[in-house]
Amino acid sequence: MGDVNPNIRNFSIIAHIDHGKSTLSDRFIQVCGGLADREMEEQVLDSMDLERERGITIKAQSVSLDYKSRNGQTYQLNFIDTPGHVDFSYEVSRSLAACDGALLVVDASQGVEAQSVANCYTAIELNLEVVPVLNKIDLPSADPDRVCQEIEDIIGIDATDAVHVSAKTGVGIEDLLEQLVERIPAPIGDANAPLKALIIDSWFDNYLGVISLVRVVDGEIRKKMKIRAMSTGRDFQVERVGVFTPKALDKESLKAGEVGFVIAGIKEITAARVGDTFTDAQKPAEKALAGFKEIQPRVFAGIFPVDADQYENLRDALSKLQLNDSALFYEPETSQALGFGFRCGFLGMLHMEIVQERLEREYNLNLITTAPTVVYQVALTDGDTTLIHNPSELPPISKIAEIREPIIRGNILVPQEYLGNVITLCIEKRGIQRNMQYTGNQVQLSFDLPLAEVVLDFFDKLKSVSRGYASFDYSLDRFEPAPMVRVDILVNGEKVDALAIMVHREFAQQRGRQLVEKMKELIPRQMYEVAIQAAIGSQIIARSTVKAMRKDVLAKCYGGDVSRKRKLLEKQKEGKKRMKQVGSVDIPQEAFLAVLRVNDK
Amino acid sequence: MTPIPLALYIHIPWCIRKCPYCDFNSHQSPNELPEGAYVDALLADLASEMPSIWGRRLESIFIGGGTPSLFSAPSIERLLCGIQALLPFRPNIEITLEANPGTFEQEKFRHFRQAGINRLSVGIQSFNDKHLKALGRVHNRAEALNVTQIARNAGFDNVNLDLMFGLPDQTIEQAMQDLQQAISLAPTHLSWYQLTLEPNTLFHKQPPILPDDDLIADIQQRGQALLADSDYQQYEVSAYSKAGFQCRHNRNYWEFGDYVAIGAGAHGKITQAHDFSIQRYQKYRQPADYMKKALEGTARSTQEFIAATEVNFEFMLNVLRLRDGFELALFTERTKLPVEQLEQGIQKGIEQGLLVRNGGHLKPTALGWRFLNQAIALFLGPK
Repeated sequence: MGDVNPNIRNFSIIAHIDHGKSTLSDRFIQVCGGLADREMEEQVLDSMDLERERGITIKAQSVSLDYKSRNGQTYQLNFIDTPGHVDFSYEVSRSLAACDGALLVVDASQGVEAQSVANCYTAIELNLEVVPVLNKIDLPSADPDRVCQEIEDIIGIDATDAVHVSAKTGVGIEDLLEQLVERIPAPIGDANAPLKALIIDSWFDNYLGVISLVRVVDGEIRKKMKIRAMSTGRDFQVERVGVFTPKALDKESLKAGEVGFVIAGIKEITAARVGDTFTDAQKPAEKALAGFKEIQPRVFAGIFPVDADQYENLRDALSKLQLNDSALFYEPETSQALGFGFRCGFLGMLHMEIVQERLEREYNLNLITTAPTVVYQVALTDGDTTLIHNPSELPPISKIAEIREPIIRGNILVPQEYLGNVITLCIEKRGIQRNMQYTGNQVQLSFDLPLAEVVLDFFDKLKSVSRGYASFDYSLDRFEPAPMVRVDILVNGEKVDALAIMVHREFAQQRGRQLVEKMKELIPRQMYEVAIQAAIGSQIIARSTVKAMRKDVLAKCYGGDVSRKRKLLEKQKEGKKRMKQVGSVDIPQEAFLAVLRVNDK
Repeated sequence: MTPIPLALYIHIPWCIRKCPYCDFNSHQSPNELPEGAYVDALLADLASEMPSIWGRRLESIFIGGGTPSLFSAPSIERLLCGIQALLPFRPNIEITLEANPGTFEQEKFRHFRQAGINRLSVGIQSFNDKHLKALGRVHNRAEALNVTQIARNAGFDNVNLDLMFGLPDQTIEQAMQDLQQAISLAPTHLSWYQLTLEPNTLFHKQPPILPDDDLIADIQQRGQALLADSDYQQYEVSAYSKAGFQCRHNRNYWEFGDYVAIGAGAHGKITQAHDFSIQRYQKYRQPADYMKKALEGTARSTQEFIAATEVNFEFMLNVLRLRDGFELALFTERTKLPVEQLEQGIQKGIEQGLLVRNGGHLKPTALGWRFLNQAIALFLGPK
């Protein structure tokens, strides 16, 4: 058995948003000299514009650094980044699967957050060594003893040796790196066995084709070598291999235990699926590595081009996005109101927002997104069961025996003072309390909640009732019968399929009223009066009216500056173009998402 | 073929004080106005414009501002004489002078009349002292009420009053009182227009609270009925007149006629005799720059030809403002272009109920009249 380089350390950082993961990784890169100071753009690992703007990490990224330890040895540190938002927990487990250890970074004043707890459990399940780190130790509000106690109470790992650092000032960074090489084990593998490389991530580059991030478990992957994707049996010739430092640095090969990129002239992402194993086409391994479980989108919404001519462009854009985002699901959908578009599945609301923003920003598309919905299980009177991804798919009431909605198990960590607020919120959202545990200053709450209520505005509400201190993680638990009804929205008497929503019967009246009121605010006044109604079946439950605009005329025109008048009218026309004409009514894009905004004040 | 009518616009850029809503090129007047030098500049400016309008005659002259009535009668007289030496006037030419109530002296206006001015346009704006103050006007209600009498005594039988509605905090009753007051002064013409917040004004930077759209529409509806009952016929979006007293100068704008422009910041539009391309230009805005450049014969600060793709829009922007619409043949008369190029927009307008065609005549429908911008936008060129 060929030995693996004992000086390799593959690790991830588990941290809640804002607990300083990106700053910490920048420090590592700086200390190890990955980039010259002048090249240090803050938070180099968040490479998508969107990631940097929103301060979140969406896709797994990696960086290889050489660290010269105090014992004189040089270690190759492969840091695999993980997303910090609950929507992307799937990506987290993928990143962790490629590691041998993880740093659990906790804000020394804020303490442990639910997201980190969930990710930590995933790491522990995968047998990873978890090294606790207290960050932001420089802040006056830092309370390391309390937070260490929390780590022990809530997560259940020993935190006596937790390293104290400040990524911002640089304090403790080298101590942390020392702990890292000491405590996280070297990878295990066989350098002489046939190649087995796990695909952690694949993305599409317009110039290079598919780039895959791999963890080589056994053997080695070399330039010019013929490799095989084991799930499809397709062979490819390796063009380039290398590591990110974080700049791409070409190498001759990647050996067992190493993490890096492979470019092999692959044109479509499906040929290098995340979770698949690359092996040597000449000397294939017998068994593929355990991959990842297929991800199930949780939230569905229709995406339609405002301008029907953009349908093909939208299809292209979705297929390109999917190259880099295997969690994105889409299939063609036709709406009476919106024409041709796609029903898309997302991991959660943030994922949906990000996809929508990328489509608009990177592909310059003008889109309408319909209200997100969860998947309902519908038991039919003939004994069949069907899944509903779109309210308009709901069978006639006479054929429905029962509708079942998805229920999640939510874990919430909240400081005691906000406990009452949080419980009230959960109950308001039809939650049922399962467990409650006091751990130091924080309370660990466990609630069963309908997913539909969670996707709507639960996160925002939770943050606002706890002044930002509560944190939340969830997993899908089961389907449960619920008295759901479809609320249709009629515009000038015409049912607009894209505006229909599924609602619990008890809330239907209220939601319907809120919705028509919100729509009234969002639909601008037009030449004719617009009537908006909410209905269950043929019964109207709410109504509002957008009064007709009275006039639209320039008061003065005496041969002066024409260009300003032209610009004004062009702007008006442009604004109208961004709206969707349903019947004779112009409906702005936001109105299709009105349901998300009924609580805006 | 009928020649394209030609009008002359003269801009006098000074006011006693700049009003916060006004987006015209006006400047607070210095203690001593450079009247003589400015008249010299205007005449030099016109002389330099002559090559583009050679052989044509003037249908109307409009001296606007600013407050042209700040100028002395002899200066205005010298100006008009100088113009006539360069350009022939049609018989009964309409010559309008803009005036503000604070500048009204009977003797002076008698002299204006003798100098050849035959129409006055007076910027009353409101008869309500509170609103006059909010608008930053220098005059008060009492002065406004005296205007028509002074004008008549001075020999003017053709007077327009400018009046605004939709003023800060204005109620429908107050607006009707203003209008009723104006009607009782029996002017031949009323320009009754909505206050709008224009860029580059103080009101745009610090917007006052204006009545909401519904109230404004109510005011307009009530006012239009009152004007009609009082025999003022609406012939344009904001223009109402007694029979036979429509403003010929403004009609020329709306019928897409030509106009020479002299004076600081003035806009002109001239159809070139040789190829019928349409040129627009503007004069330097700062009075000092303008006077210097005008004497050198280079007073235009910008000039451009209307792009072929924009002719439809610019034509319709003007003609659709006329309540009775227009003969489609006018398009060819003014532009020498085939009327067919309007067809697509006209079709859409008819489909949307905004326009109505009757033989060779086109006009906005009642709906189109209320939503004129949407009718005009049908003729926008590609961006």
